[in-house]
Amino acid sequence: MKCPRCDSETIRKMVDAPVDNAWEVYVCDTCFYSWRSTEDPHVHAKFKLKPEDIPNLQVIPPVPPLEK
Amino acid sequence: MAKVYKDLREFLETLEAEGQLVRIKDEVLPEPDIASAGRAASNLKNGPAVLFEKVKGYKYSVVTNVHGSWPNHALMMGMPKDTPVKEQFMELNRRWDKYPVPPKVLSREEAPCKENVVDKDINLFEILPLYRINDQDGGFFISKASVVTADPDDPGNFDKMNVGTYRIQVKDKDRIGIQALAMHDIAVQLEKAERKNEKVPIAICIGNNPLVTFMASTPIGYSQNEYEFVGALQDGVPCEIVKADLCDHIYVPAGSEVVLEGYIEPRVREVEGPFGEFPGSYSGARNQCVVRITHITHRTNPIYESLYLGIPWTEIDYLMALNTSVPLYKQIKEGFPELVALNAMYMHGHVAIISTKCRYGGYGKGIAFRLLSTPHGMPYTKIVIVVDEFVDPFNLEQVMWALASRVKPDKDVAIIPNCPGMPLDPSSYPAGMHTKMIIDATTPVPPEPNPRAVELLEPPAKTAEYEEIIRNLLKQMQ
Ligand SMILES: [Zn+2]
Repeated sequence: MKCPRCDSETIRKMVDAPVDNAWEVYVCDTCFYSWRSTEDPHVHAKFKLKPEDIPNLQVIPPVPPLEK
Repeated sequence: MAKVYKDLREFLETLEAEGQLVRIKDEVLPEPDIASAGRAASNLKNGPAVLFEKVKGYKYSVVTNVHGSWPNHALMMGMPKDTPVKEQFMELNRRWDKYPVPPKVLSREEAPCKENVVDKDINLFEILPLYRINDQDGGFFISKASVVTADPDDPGNFDKMNVGTYRIQVKDKDRIGIQALAMHDIAVQLEKAERKNEKVPIAICIGNNPLVTFMASTPIGYSQNEYEFVGALQDGVPCEIVKADLCDHIYVPAGSEVVLEGYIEPRVREVEGPFGEFPGSYSGARNQCVVRITHITHRTNPIYESLYLGIPWTEIDYLMALNTSVPLYKQIKEGFPELVALNAMYMHGHVAIISTKCRYGGYGKGIAFRLLSTPHGMPYTKIVIVVDEFVDPFNLEQVMWALASRVKPDKDVAIIPNCPGMPLDPSSYPAGMHTKMIIDATTPVPPEPNPRAVELLEPPAKTAEYEEIIRNLLKQMQ
């Protein structure tokens, strides 16, 4: 299984439904995209991510320097 | 004394009794039903709250659109549900001046939010029916929590404790992402802690007294305490709070349905978003803060309160309407008592309408400049319309009449380039810069010439009396 957003194979099951095993939720450990097995995830081209671009995303808020 | 609600449940009872809450009893899938109902309810005039009793795979119920109409907003304030918006605005202004009303601190035993405790094997899905709000959101978001943090350099200072609303993305059973924009109070606290590489204790309170949620999304000063404002808006009745379990310096609403406790991991950023935001479009993926949840308290059979955001108007627009307008009004009124009312409820104040009496020529434009130099108005407000004191700024038909009959564009419209802007506004470019526009639709007063002065039409003598007669006749027909 591939991540619908970043195409990585770092997918794991996050959780089972608390009742009746009605569904599972999956998450990508690379980009944190998550979805439920009852959904049909389709990420718009505009929101696709390449794993190598993740470190270059804007950081909010910026991390301040460490105090000595 | 106005009616006051201790918690979400009491408010839901009133909404239901007033015909402003509907129940969906059939089981539904989390997607797309819950978000669709939120959108649908705000599409309707006077839309109700919608309570889903059974969501497939989950244990508990979820309610949406609790604040999502003017009747619900009036009931939140303990006013009749048909109270006009301008009257709600005036009443809020009156109660605002009661600040500060110290909260009442309950013991742990007295606080309903402590009925149940989970402190191992944390799993948010066991407690909250989490769901996707908009199709391209990067995950399931918690859109309507009141988030409590303290000042790391002055933790015992009650005034600097912050209660705010921030978007939250669920990343794991016990781990969430949170957006702390640099302009927000929580970011000030985070920066102090991150310099020392310290965790920031946090309590995320879900399902609250409607005025707690209202104040959590109100722009007030850093050292003004939200709970003391809740007491003021409850017309002097203190807000009931209780100490958090893990941190002695954090207090949570005693009646919260669910309280998630934990800490912000210092100096960590991970991908968060996209998320459908209040301007009616997505804000994209960024590297943002992460919170570890280590302890949950909740009421028995907790109700998950959530909010839909879409192209305005949706619930968030009702929630951020008058609580944006009132602080701005108070700031301008201090120096300009001629101010009558201020409507800053379009996209959190991007468009604002000011009603004022004009003391001398050019006064309308001057008041607009004052709005554009308030702490909130400077980045947010880009279009200001100024109308006469007899025009109700919350009545858009009247405002359009003022534009139609009063404005001479070559002298009454001013464009001011290269000013501060709000980055989430997609027309701001570069993000954070914007142009301001002032439209002065007031009647000219000296020394400004008014070469074609007119006599305004007066309502016939018994108009008010007939409004009452017609209203009563309509009620009898229902
Ligand atoms: Zn991914």
